[in-house]
Amino acid sequence: MLADARLDVNLSADKQTIVSLRHIWRFDEVSSSMMLVDLDQNGDLTLDEAELTEASKIMMESLAEFNYFQIVTADGKDVVMNPPSEIKAVWEDNLLYVMLETTPKEPFRLAGKIDLGVYDPTFYVAIDFAEDDKMVVAGLPDTCARQVIRPDADEALAQNQATLDQAFKDDSPNTDMSKIFATKLELTCQASG
Amino acid sequence: MSKTFVRVVFAVLLITYVVTHFIARAHAQSSLGIGTNDAIVPSAGYFGGLMQWINAHQQAFYRSLTGALKAMREDGSKLWLLVGLSFAYGIFHAAGPGHGKAVISTYMLANEVALRRGVMLSFVSAFLQALTAIFLMGLVFLVLRGTSIRMTDAAWFLEIVSYAAITAFGFWLLWTKLSPRLRGVFGSAPAHSLSAAHAHHHGAHGHARHEAAHGHDHGHAHSHVHSHDHAHGPGEVCETCGHSHAPDPALLSGDRFDWRTAWSAVAAVGIRPCSGALIVLTFAFLNGLWVGGILSVLAMAVGTAITVSLLATLAVTAKNWAVAMAGDGRTGNTIHAAIEIGGAAMVAVLGLLLLTASLTA
Repeated sequence: MLADARLDVNLSADKQTIVSLRHIWRFDEVSSSMMLVDLDQNGDLTLDEAELTEASKIMMESLAEFNYFQIVTADGKDVVMNPPSEIKAVWEDNLLYVMLETTPKEPFRLAGKIDLGVYDPTFYVAIDFAEDDKMVVAGLPDTCARQVIRPDADEALAQNQATLDQAFKDDSPNTDMSKIFATKLELTCQASG
Repeated sequence: MSKTFVRVVFAVLLITYVVTHFIARAHAQSSLGIGTNDAIVPSAGYFGGLMQWINAHQQAFYRSLTGALKAMREDGSKLWLLVGLSFAYGIFHAAGPGHGKAVISTYMLANEVALRRGVMLSFVSAFLQALTAIFLMGLVFLVLRGTSIRMTDAAWFLEIVSYAAITAFGFWLLWTKLSPRLRGVFGSAPAHSLSAAHAHHHGAHGHARHEAAHGHDHGHAHSHVHSHDHAHGPGEVCETCGHSHAPDPALLSGDRFDWRTAWSAVAAVGIRPCSGALIVLTFAFLNGLWVGGILSVLAMAVGTAITVSLLATLAVTAKNWAVAMAGDGRTGNTIHAAIEIGGAAMVAVLGLLLLTASLTA
């Protein structure tokens, strides 16, 4: 499964906090075919309202376990995000679009080092941000710098050794690799007065 | 009770259990809940980096493969590009994490299977897997479409059946490896008198004596009931059954290839279609590229079979080498036994792990 993704980071009016993350995933033609065949209950080769609702319901349930594929950290600490109120599934030109929006549980200050990644830890869906500008923060203040970090597979393999060494030291095999290997938007903000 | 009967009863019980208990919440097999995911691979843990690397390359393959599919839709002559890529995908995919090669390899380790036959088994199981995928997609397109049965459910069901079969197969293999030795431990009185008494193979071949000497066919408790029609030459009836003696290495290294055992291994692996094949078939069938889709999946099977054969051959060669290093004496036998029992135990544990993961997913 392959999906082209776009992430919009919405800031509050005063640009002090992040109020929501909006995700759009467009599945490629082959993945969409797979979804179509799976969900097309009336066999009319398109997904109608009822079938899309069913798809949303299934995804709401399934994705919850994976934090809706989000990795959100502030200064290295996990930021808890609320589940989206709904997942919208749209079928257009034989492609499946999935949209969802999540909000932080606690006020999420735009400060320090913030990492936002979208990643399926089971490797089922490859979420692909084709260009760096598919990760967007509208109205990012000048005090913040943005950078898109793309992991390199060969580097990941090399890092595996380091992780192994590290794992022996701190004895915590549950280090979440997806934090290291996901494509991430990194915002570095200076404390604003 | 014949072995077949026991197996059938077991299978029916299991399927009933699965159908009644788990089908209702079958939607969580992949992270999206739509479609099936292949091996359940942890991205966390010690080998996360390695998995990531494998995954990145598989994604690259996926892109080329889907690219070729789309190209073929426009231009039929691109079929060979697709077939070639599918073949390569098969080779590479089988080298990644997955259960098929593990089961076949350990089966070969646990049994004295001639390499040539092992290679053949790899091919048969890979093709069975391809045929299951083609059959399933055919079913989805010709029968299930327009019904409420989702492909995800059907694929998930086959997966559970496959994992359950692997588990059952593993435990059965473990039992056949352990029971003659246990009998040895318990002295001359047969620990399983029923099975030891006249445990003939009711197949047509004349190795009843070899088989029984190893307790290879215990569990056939009453097989003589319906196999009386075959004649026993003098000495063909098992005279040594129930006696405690260490397995004779000459017999252990002999060729005791059992087709039914081999077929259970192949079927256990092959009944689960690989998701790569399902993806290619869905797109191909949806676009009316019937021949292309089927050829592509068969090419994948050839690729997979080659890799699995290689890995299985490696495993068996390593085992032979270890046994040869230890020499002919006790140590050699012990190593041999340890590898066989360990192999059987591994199949059982692997099956259990996959089954639990799949059921709790």
